[in-house]
Amino acid sequence: MSDLVVDGVSVTHGSTLAIDDVSLRIRSGELVAVLGPSGCGKTTLLLSIAGLLPVHAGSITIGDREISRPGRTVAPEKRGVGWVPQEASLFPHLSVGENIGFAVPRGRGARRRSGSFPSEVGEGAGAGHAAPASRAARIAELAQLVGLGDLTGRAPNQLSGGQAQRVALARALAPRPDLLLLDEPFAALDTQLRTGLRREVAELLRDQGTTSLLVTHDQEEALTLADRVAVLRDGHLEQFGTPEEIYQQPASDWVASFVGDVVELPGQWRGGRVLCALGSVEASAVGFTPADGETVRLMLRPEWIVPRPDLLAQAAAGADARVASISYAGHDAMITADLVDGPSVLLRMAAVELPEVGDDVRLAVQRPGLAFAAA
Amino acid sequence: MTIAPGRETTTAAGVPDTRITPAASSRPGVLAALGPAGARPPIALLAAAIVAAAAAAIPLVYLLVRATESGLATIVETLSRGRVLEYAANSLGLAAATTVTALVLGTAVAFVLTRVRVPFARTWLLISALPLAVPSYLAGYGWLVAFPSLNGFVPSWLLLTAVTVPYVTLPVAAALRGASGDLEGVARTLGRGPLRAFLVATWPSVRPAAIAGSLLVALYALSDFGLVAMMRFPTLTWGINAAYSASFDRAQAATLALLLVVLALVVVVGERAARRQLPRAAARAVAPRSVGRGMLLAMLPVVAVAPLIGVGVPLLGLLSRLLEAATLREIDVPRLLEAVGSTVGVAVAAALLAVALALPIAALAARYRGRLVTAIESVGYLGHALPGIVVGLSLVFFALAVVPALYQSIVVLVFAYAVLFMPKAIGTMRAGLGDVPPRLVAVARTLGMSPLQAWWRVTVPLALPSVGIGALLVAIATMKELPATLLLRPTGVQTLATELWNRTVVFEFGAAAPYAALLVLVAAVPAVILSGVRSSAKEEL
Repeated sequence: MSDLVVDGVSVTHGSTLAIDDVSLRIRSGELVAVLGPSGCGKTTLLLSIAGLLPVHAGSITIGDREISRPGRTVAPEKRGVGWVPQEASLFPHLSVGENIGFAVPRGRGARRRSGSFPSEVGEGAGAGHAAPASRAARIAELAQLVGLGDLTGRAPNQLSGGQAQRVALARALAPRPDLLLLDEPFAALDTQLRTGLRREVAELLRDQGTTSLLVTHDQEEALTLADRVAVLRDGHLEQFGTPEEIYQQPASDWVASFVGDVVELPGQWRGGRVLCALGSVEASAVGFTPADGETVRLMLRPEWIVPRPDLLAQAAAGADARVASISYAGHDAMITADLVDGPSVLLRMAAVELPEVGDDVRLAVQRPGLAFAAA
Repeated sequence: MTIAPGRETTTAAGVPDTRITPAASSRPGVLAALGPAGARPPIALLAAAIVAAAAAAIPLVYLLVRATESGLATIVETLSRGRVLEYAANSLGLAAATTVTALVLGTAVAFVLTRVRVPFARTWLLISALPLAVPSYLAGYGWLVAFPSLNGFVPSWLLLTAVTVPYVTLPVAAALRGASGDLEGVARTLGRGPLRAFLVATWPSVRPAAIAGSLLVALYALSDFGLVAMMRFPTLTWGINAAYSASFDRAQAATLALLLVVLALVVVVGERAARRQLPRAAARAVAPRSVGRGMLLAMLPVVAVAPLIGVGVPLLGLLSRLLEAATLREIDVPRLLEAVGSTVGVAVAAALLAVALALPIAALAARYRGRLVTAIESVGYLGHALPGIVVGLSLVFFALAVVPALYQSIVVLVFAYAVLFMPKAIGTMRAGLGDVPPRLVAVARTLGMSPLQAWWRVTVPLALPSVGIGALLVAIATMKELPATLLLRPTGVQTLATELWNRTVVFEFGAAAPYAALLVLVAAVPAVILSGVRSSAKEEL
């Protein structure tokens, strides 16, 4: 077992507290995303796990090995932690192959050939791989793994951004790290390339069974790739959970609006429901226990609100609205609808049969919303 | 002499499709934490840098010791002697006149080369940099061959101007290219005429470069020994040599040297202050304008005069004398080869020693900040401010008093070169080491390398070209050095420069010609090639 345990870690830059009492437990083989706006301390957290920054409080442990605590930072080279930096950072004086093989010891193949040493058991045997015959074979294997089999002779400046990131990934995987850290590895790529490459990388990491920590400021990236997501804000851990938990049961209104679009309506709490412009909506209170009649803020995701033509006849359910504008995005559309007696709301629907601007619709909420304390 | 540690960003040719979108590429705060800036440097590195800086400080410190031990009264008495005042006045007058002419001419050349569409503009820029490769005494020799009666202030002034103009031309041209054309365009749309717009919008960003360049010219003129001695114009450097070699009046020599050092340090401090204001922003430059053929022809003399006087005429004089039958017949080949051998020998030794001394200082300055680091680096740059004759004189004293066994040995000579030219090595190597991204070193650490292994496998290979260029710059400067060589060379050892000198001062121009020609071949030619290879290096020759 090589779980990563970050326990009450604080990191300071000079006099500012960049990471404040963060605790995470990442299970072996898991892919966890650290999500937060820029400047929230996520890269600092990554660097301190890599041993490139000391911690000022708490401890970091991999398996049963403590690698960081105040006053003691195990050197980066002795941690078994791989790092894929944001801009690939390939060694410009080495070829692609030599970059990948940077951490693969030389001479192993030579010794084999001389025949004077008994052949070793490859380190990779435990990971279910055949022991590589030589350094060159290991490099070729890794290049193949990231889909760059025929580019090992190239110089780094002859690669595209996406290729460079693949090389950086192969280079970090070469020493078979217990833990792989990826620092916004896709941020510098254009949108199309990013979507394809990140899916591919996530699959590869799962196949390899590599425990991975991915830093990103992109909500979609975190939600689609990760097994679990840690949301960081101003150095604090706001929430740590599965993508569904983060999105559907955010721990705070800040997390709610950071990870996705929200519709917010004022209302009154009535025993598990909120009376608001959308009618009486079932809701669960987050972080407080409201009394009956208390004013709360109801939070919904735009796709939780749906037009329900079948309810048109029933005056008791739903709320009448008129479509004010439609923002069309191809696969779906975001519709702004003005409620007859109240503010306007957003709803997202698949772009199959869209209403038109000016249409009257009857809206209903299809799953329980979230109630936050009034500000 | 160093103008600026050249910091070019090489864009690799043929960078394909998806590189970096600007939005995501810079995150200064966190990355700063990666480099150990703010951290304390390793003790071993600090100790090595302090030792190197201490070595660089020996000439100045020992000169102070030597000059003050005779007492303040003696110093004042020496300084007030008639000849001393004359020397000082001549030095200052020559430096001032040369600085003014070089500033005016250099700015004009830079303006023509950047703002006018000149055919073969790059070639012209290279040509205008050529005088830097020619030591002043070689230019003096070339002119004396043609006009043996030249002497005094005017030829010294004009020739010094010709060889120092590039110190103004190159930085001003760079500043003009970097100055925002938008700003000048805005001034024009606001109703200023072309000249007013230039003065208001562009000149402020060019001025620091012009001032820094002119102060380098002043430093060169103050320090020059070979040319003024050939022209028999008695300046401080000439006086130091005369006091030392003719009368062996050591106290007077030391006092004069101190006076010269004070003047030079004032100039260097001014140059540093001016350089701090150099703008870095590279904005959209003004496109060169096309002018008529008549106008181009009228501009030709402006651009060509310095290379013509500083390089063309001297080379012509040299060649004409070299190819005379009498000269060719009398060439003493073994002696010539010996001089080449010792020139190259001391140059290689000096380059190795200078790089060894500069490496810890450059490594320290590239990665760490703080008052101590700044102090060490400044001391390392001392040689830049010290005239060769001062370093020579001080090390004579030092060797005699402290290590008599090494007096008149090659060790002291090589050490003098290393101190004098270390700044070139520090400048290039600091830039080279500083350009290695700390992130690459951090990546190597996460891949299992110890700090030393990471340094060896990542930092060293990436900085190696700058180490090589630093060593080459030191070697080239060493081969051209004259006054320190004259004072410190072991009896019987002659370099190309001293052979040329010894013959020229007794008007044996023919016998001097082969040495002059070889000096051009071994020193000037590599300098020109290097400047072609690395366009910013020409500012550092």
